[in-house]
This record gives sequence, structure tokens and C-alpha cells, in this order.
Amino acid sequence: MKKRRTLQLGLLLALLFVQGFWVRAAVFPTWTKEYSEKKTTENIDNLTKIDPAQMLAALAGFREMIAGILWVRADAFFDEGNYDAILPIIRLVTILDPKQIDVYATGMWHIGYNFTDEESRSDRRYIPSALALGAEGARANDYTYELFFETGWIWYHKIDDDYEKAVDWFEQANDKIDIQPARRNLLGMAYQRAGKIDRAREYYYELLQEAQEVFDNDSRFHNLQNRDTLEQNHDNLLVRMAMRGHWAREGGFIDEFQYDTEPPFDVGFSAKVTVEEPKVITVEGTWNVRPVGTRVRFILRDKNMEFAKPAGMEWDSDERVELDPPKDVTFLQELLFVKNRRFTKRIDMSRDPTMYPFVQDDYVIEFYYNPRSSPPHMQDKFGFNGHGLTDKNYLNTDVREGQRVIFAQLEISRDQILRRGTWEIGRDTPSMQTKGYVERTASENKIGLIKLPGQLGEGVKPEEPTLLQSETHGAGPGPVSD
Amino acid sequence: MKAIYAIASTTVGEAIRRKVLLVILLIGVLIVAIAPGLSVLSARQELTVLKSLTLGIIQMTSATIAIVLTVYLIPNEIERRTIYTILSKPVQRWQFLVGKYMGAVAALGLMMGLMTVTLLVVFFIMQRDQATMTTMLELAKVPMMYFIQMSLLAAVAVFFSTFVSPIVNFFMAGGTFVVGMMFSSVLETIKTNSELPQALKALATLIHSIIPNFQMFNVQNPVINSTSQIKGETLQYVNLGLYAVFYIAVLLIGGILIFDRKEV
Repeated sequence: MKKRRTLQLGLLLALLFVQGFWVRAAVFPTWTKEYSEKKTTENIDNLTKIDPAQMLAALAGFREMIAGILWVRADAFFDEGNYDAILPIIRLVTILDPKQIDVYATGMWHIGYNFTDEESRSDRRYIPSALALGAEGARANDYTYELFFETGWIWYHKIDDDYEKAVDWFEQANDKIDIQPARRNLLGMAYQRAGKIDRAREYYYELLQEAQEVFDNDSRFHNLQNRDTLEQNHDNLLVRMAMRGHWAREGGFIDEFQYDTEPPFDVGFSAKVTVEEPKVITVEGTWNVRPVGTRVRFILRDKNMEFAKPAGMEWDSDERVELDPPKDVTFLQELLFVKNRRFTKRIDMSRDPTMYPFVQDDYVIEFYYNPRSSPPHMQDKFGFNGHGLTDKNYLNTDVREGQRVIFAQLEISRDQILRRGTWEIGRDTPSMQTKGYVERTASENKIGLIKLPGQLGEGVKPEEPTLLQSETHGAGPGPVSD
Repeated sequence: MKAIYAIASTTVGEAIRRKVLLVILLIGVLIVAIAPGLSVLSARQELTVLKSLTLGIIQMTSATIAIVLTVYLIPNEIERRTIYTILSKPVQRWQFLVGKYMGAVAALGLMMGLMTVTLLVVFFIMQRDQATMTTMLELAKVPMMYFIQMSLLAAVAVFFSTFVSPIVNFFMAGGTFVVGMMFSSVLETIKTNSELPQALKALATLIHSIIPNFQMFNVQNPVINSTSQIKGETLQYVNLGLYAVFYIAVLLIGGILIFDRKEV
């Protein structure tokens, strides 16, 4: 009797194993591939940082509903200005419902733009997370252009430097059938900023042809408007390519005619950094360009920062979406606005200890100007890739391949920034300057008005030729040749 | 077969008369009916949220009904001593158990059918312009798979009811359902965690192979977010159906073996 019972139970157990083998070999893999939420593993990895109750909710049958309620709650937090509370909600909502495109898009924007210090400088330590969120959203919603475009936009607008990456994302967005015509146009600008000028022109032409066909079939106003915009973009680019000597340079006859970008103009860059108080610095310097529109990038960061690169960092270095940026890293990025050929900026980091922790001993200060990020009237002189730009001390052709940029680097210690030791208040004032720094004269910048070309202020004489003078066609060689 | 049918039809009648089940059913049907009023919770996602909510309600209500209905099946008969009257007739114990199970599944089917009809009516009213037979059938596919899922859950509860009390059974069957719904995801995490010892991973795989995989019957994702094409859909559903029948058979045989030896 006992033997029979053991046999029966053994048979049952064997049947259980048979079904287990069958399920694991045949049924479950198909379910995982076709029916489970996409990127389940990725989301489950992220779930390790969420408490078990949330995890249970995530796997129950109400994901989308809970996600919707949470997103409404996030909106309330946003109205209250409680930005920190929104971050975990964004993460949770995207885990619960990876199809919520708006949450991904808003979340990226929020992470990338809204965390700032007391002086409204973005905390750029968050940007890798914003990009990672965009990449995750794009993978989970690869049927639509939206998150490819949004991720490209972060590269194009917020990072404003590695335009190749923006091109990659915009091209992927362009491949989706639901992309809107106005969104496609931006790829043309991204090509230009990435230095792919001929491709930009071809692309505008392709779009123009398409827009013309659409307008021929449907003459409603928005189609006319799109066609006209593209025609203007295309024409502008043709003029700029000609005037900036693009074809002449490619064809090897740049010296035979006169072009706006020839000869290169010396911007006369110099800078000085003074630590006024602990974590309070003043940055000043010269930039021999009178027209308004120059913004020099200023960076103060840990010297041994992981993923750092000249004048920036490897922004897509982290594929994970981290709710908290690395707390022990200091990375400050600011734009120095040039006015009357000088820039001056007081930067107070003392009120934001979490954003500027200064835990390392040594720091790097970088100054960077890239003509690709400049407004068109600056590019008219400096060219698409900086061929019309030079500086006797800080022209650099190494830090950005194929580009001529201005790049200068200084070093500063923690004791200097915090005014400790020999740098205490009342003793030596830490101050460092680049080669050829020229102190401002007493008359300079007494008033805050911008002196426009042709309206030089009283008592201010142009000591040296400026961009204004070299801009005139046929006015002879510029002040400094390359 | 006649005996099984008689027991099953009696079980259906009993189930329909049980107030607690009717209250659960009523709540489920009401929430499904008023769900369109909650879809404002997510811009551009109204339909997605609505589908998710209504299908979730159906699944949760059905699971509750399946457990509450089955945990009392055998113990009630023993407690009320009606089992003696039944077993004194020419009815085998296995026939009694199978009949009870079949009756429970039929009652469950009726209740889930009512919820599904409500769901379809709600969607038909909401999408009057776009609703076609295909979209309605597509939507109905999900509750149908839930029905198979709940039949499996009912078998689990019937199996446990042969040797534990209803309260204990409620938690055991409920726990098995939760684990069966979640364990595949947990297993993925365990598998990818390089810090865990191999033995633990092997144990997790073993548990995953033995515990009924309820998660596989959740086929709602492509319906809620209809952006992907499903390959081999019919084969998958046939496989899932066979899997459920196989597992139910194993559980019922196990239950019969225990029930045969049980002193009542």
C-alpha cells in the first residue's frame, strides 16, 4: 500500500517536472517575447531601488492606472515647486508604464533643466540621467519619433556641443513615419552644427522638394508655410556657404577671392579668476569682439573627474537612470556673456553645498568657445568650423576634432576655493590668470550699457582693430593673421 | 459522467446563491461600468488607462471569486455533513471532487462572462465610431485567457482544500497566485545577479518550474498598447490552454489521491 502511494506521488512529481520543462522550453519564452512588457529586465533592474509594495503594484494588473494617478500627483508637486519629489515619481511611472511618452519627455526635461543652484545654473551632473531616461523611453517606444527627437534635443540644446550625437538621434527620429514636418527641419541645423554642411544643404533641398510636392497637392496655409520656411533655410545656407568660403576652401581656392572668414580674426582671449570669498569667485576677461552674442563657456570641475573631457564630460557615459547624481562630484558650467569686449561674472557657489561639495583637493578651470554654438552673425565671421577664428595664445584644434575652438585651462586647489590655510581671508587672495591677461581700465564698463558698433561710449577708444572693422568686405587684411 | 454533471450543476446553483460572491461580482461590474469616468487621469492615454483599469478589475475580481468560491467547496460539505449523503450514493470520491471543481469553474465562467460583457458594452459605447468586431474580439481575448488562469487558480485552491482549512487555504492559494504572477520577474533578477551563488539560482529555477506560471496568462499588454504585431498567437494560446489543462489535471489527481485517503 505504502509502495503504491510512493509510486503515485513519484509519478505526480514527475509530471510536475515534465510540465516545468515544457513551459520553460516552449511556452514561457514566447510569452516573454510577445506579451510581456518590453524591456522587462531593464525595468526590473530599476525596481531594485523601489520598495516591495511598489514592486507588487508594478507587477499587478493596474500599472497604467497607478502610473496615471502618480503622474497627476507629480503635477501637483511641480506646481508646489517640490522638484525633488517629482524625480522618484517619474522613475516609478516610467517603470509602471513604459508607454507613457509624455512622462519620459517631461521627465527628461525636468531632470535636465530644472535642478539648478541659487543662481539658476543647471546641475549638469543630472544630464547623463536625463539622456539615459530618454534612451530608455526611445527603446520602449521605438514606433514613434517623439523620444528620439526629445533625446536629440537635449544633445542639441542643453549640451550644445556634441552635435554628432544630436544628429544620430534626430536621424533616428526622422526614420519614424509619424514625425512632423517642422521637427524634421531641425536635423538640417544639427547637420550644420555637426560640421556636415554639404549634407545639411542636400537635406534642406530634399525637404524642400517634398514640401513643394505636398503643397502642390494640398495648398493649405501650413503647407505653404513649411515650403517657404524650407526655401528660406536652403537659401540662407547657400548664401552662408558662399560668403563663408565653404566651397572655396574645399576647392582649394580660398586665397583667390575675398571671403568673410578670411583672414581669421584674433579674438584676443584672456581671463582671470579671483576667489573673493570661500566658494565665491569672480571671472573676468577679454574678448576682442564688439558685436553682442558671444558667450564663453566656463567650467569649474574636479581635476580627476570620471568621464571628464575638455570643456565638458562624456554625457552619455551612464546608461542607468540615477535619481541622485554623484554627491561627491563638483561640476559647474556657466556662460560668460561678453559685453564691450570684456566679460565679468561673479559666481557664488557658497549657497549650494550639495551641488558644489568640493571634496577633492584639486580642480580645473576651463574656458571654451566653439563657433558651432555661436549665433549666425558670429559664424559669418568665424565660419562653420572656426576657420575665421584665431587667438595667438588659445586657439585649439585638438580638443574638438575638425574644429578650431578657443580653449584654456587653469588649475585651482581646494584650499584656494575655500580660502583656507595661506589663502585665508585677510592673507593672500587666490587669483590666477591666462597668458596675456589685460586688466580693465578704470573707464571700462563704468556703465552697464552695451556699446553697439558705431556707438562707442564717451572716453572709450578702440585701442586695436575689432571684428566690426574686419567685417567690411574688401577692407583689407584683418588685424591678426593665422 | 452523470454523477459529475449532477454535482457540478448543484455547485453552480450554490455559488450563484452565495451573497459574498455576488457582492464581489457586483463591485467588479460596477467599477468596470464607471471606469470611463476615471480616464481623465492621463492625457493622451485615456484608452490605455481605461483598458488597463478595466482588465485589471476583471482579473482581480475573478481571482478573489475563484479563491473564495473554491476554498469552501470541500470543507463546507464536510462541515454540513452533506458529503455523507452524497458518498453513500453510487458516487466515487474522485467524481465528487471533479464535479465540485467543474461546478466552480462553470460558476466562475458565468461571473467572468458577465464582467466581460459589461467591458465590451463599455468599450462599444466609448468607441462607437471605431468599434469593430475585430477590436471587440481582440479585447475579449484577454478575459478569456484570464478565465483559463482562474480555472488553474481554482484547481490550486481545490487541491489545497483537500487537506487544509478554508482560512489557511485562502492564504495558500492567494500566495501561490501572487508568487506565480511575480516569480518569473523575480527569477530574471536572480539570474542576472552575479553575486548570488549558483545553488540559489538553481533552486530559483526549480521553483519557477514547479509553481504554476500564472503570469503567462497575462496577455493584456499588446491589447493595452497596441503597437506591436504578435507572432504565432494561436500557437501560443493553444500551448497556454494545454499547459493549463495539464497542470489542472495534475492538481486534481493530486487532490483525489489525498481526498481518497482522507477520513471524512
